[in-house]
Amino acid sequence: MSDHAILVKDVGVRFRPYLDRNPTFRRSIGKREPRVAEEVIALADVSFEIEKGEAYGIIGHNGAGKSTLLRVLARTMRPNTGTVEVHGRTSTLLQLGVGFNNELSGRRNIYLGGLAHGLRLAEVEDRFDDIVEYAGLEHAIDRPLKTYSTGMFARLAFSVSMHLDPNILLLDEVLAVGDESFREKSLHSMRELLARAGTIVFVSHSLSTVEEFCDRALWLDRGQVRLVGAPSEVIDAYRAAVSSAE
Amino acid sequence: MSTVTASDRARLSAWRVYVRDLWERREFAWFLAMGNLKARNASTALGLFWWILNPLMLAGVYYIVFGFIFSGTREGEPAFLAWLISGIFAFTYTSTAMTSGANSILANSKLLVNIRFPRMILPVAALVEAGVGFLASLGIFYVIAWPVNGIRPGLSLVWLPLAVTLHTLFNLGLAAATARLAVPFRDINNIIPHLNRLWMYLTPIIWPMAFIEAKAQWAQNVIQANPLFPYMALYRKALMGRELDPLNIWLAIFWAVVALGVGVISFVRFEGNMVRHL
Ligand SMILES: Nc1ncnc2c1ncn2[C@@H]1O[C@H](COP(=O)(O)OP(=O)(O)OP(=O)(O)O)[C@@H](O)[C@H]1O
Ligand SMILES: [Mg+2]
Repeated sequence: MSDHAILVKDVGVRFRPYLDRNPTFRRSIGKREPRVAEEVIALADVSFEIEKGEAYGIIGHNGAGKSTLLRVLARTMRPNTGTVEVHGRTSTLLQLGVGFNNELSGRRNIYLGGLAHGLRLAEVEDRFDDIVEYAGLEHAIDRPLKTYSTGMFARLAFSVSMHLDPNILLLDEVLAVGDESFREKSLHSMRELLARAGTIVFVSHSLSTVEEFCDRALWLDRGQVRLVGAPSEVIDAYRAAVSSAE
Repeated sequence: MSTVTASDRARLSAWRVYVRDLWERREFAWFLAMGNLKARNASTALGLFWWILNPLMLAGVYYIVFGFIFSGTREGEPAFLAWLISGIFAFTYTSTAMTSGANSILANSKLLVNIRFPRMILPVAALVEAGVGFLASLGIFYVIAWPVNGIRPGLSLVWLPLAVTLHTLFNLGLAAATARLAVPFRDINNIIPHLNRLWMYLTPIIWPMAFIEAKAQWAQNVIQANPLFPYMALYRKALMGRELDPLNIWLAIFWAVVALGVGVISFVRFEGNMVRHL
């Protein structure tokens, strides 16, 4: 058995935005523009591996392909080329509050979120009190979600994700909205997950958090792997490139 | 003797795995459907009463329009109101399944992008939502039909489970097909309401059978080819004790199988590409 949690090999993702621009019938049966002209290469020949127990940071400028890469890791998007191996139960937090319904209460949304992520009803019931307590939302749990502040919403969503018992947690820029105490609490739970040989893939524009928290970092540049290494090293190179470009 | 090739077997087992995954997520489908039903009326004063009020008001509107204003077509149907509302409730089930099926993927794009699950959950949840509303409306059928037309629940109600089951399978196929089409072709959302309007007028709902029996043979053939025709006949048998041509049972099975097969297969084959279109 390998101790890889994630193995990515030669992954490429292309988009054909002309197809994604809500095509009409006329456009799709009518003459097509040449395909190559409008193709967006979001990821090209991306290969890397992540070990079990590792916190892996991914940095890069806007549009570099970080979110696309996480979708491929979450296996909600099939890459055009290459292979992805994932060993473990993944919990994704690419966006906050997936599966939530704003009109319904926090209580109801814990059920929805948990079931959406693949828990059984009985499992959600077992974990319900812990989820509420962890989020610190005992007082607001029966209020409709639309009355929550951004931070309260984030707490609830993060709490649900942490109680899915994941081995692998994929995070896309989600800690930015919580307050300081919640940020500390989330980082603490994430360290606990790592201590249990869990794996975290952490996409963030907060370079200091990546440096503080991650064991290794990957710099993604226009869909390609530019550098992999110790966070401080990768971040320095990234900063140097950004300032020289200005 | 028939032979099953390796690839055929692989495909069959892939479907088995898919159905099993779907079944494992049934609680999610149920919560999603009930959540949407609740959310829709969460901020209204009457809340869940709208389940009952909506079909009642729908029936009221159509009764005023086709019972009194355009009353020419009701000739030959002694229990017109019962005929009308049984048809409208059943038709609404189908049209709701189509519209909410078309929306099911687009409205849940966040789920699709973030979580891996058998995507059929979404049209299934849309159908459950429509089905619960339909059953609620069936519950009030006799509340109207008994006092107005003297139609009471009778032995023929044993046909109801068959009618609902076949009609539901048919609707599920439609929901899957519209869901699949609406992802790349958003235009579908604009077309469906018009198609549905036309379909309603081509179905024996606002006009009784006497109306079509007076028409030319070809017109009758066209109406009989309407996939909703046999389901209507089944409902009228079950709810009103009307005569049922056994052919309609076979037609109802036939259309359910066709819709389900085409809808679900085209949906599942497209699943892997959905995220790219959101
Ligand atoms: N559905 C889509 N259709 C067409 N192009 C897309 C689609 N999704 C992403 N892209 C393109 O792929 C590239 C990578 O996008 P992605 O969202 O992965 O970037 P990112 O690194 O997450 O950026 P950010 O830091 O802003 O979040 C971009 O050029 C984007 O325009
Ligand atoms: Mg992104």
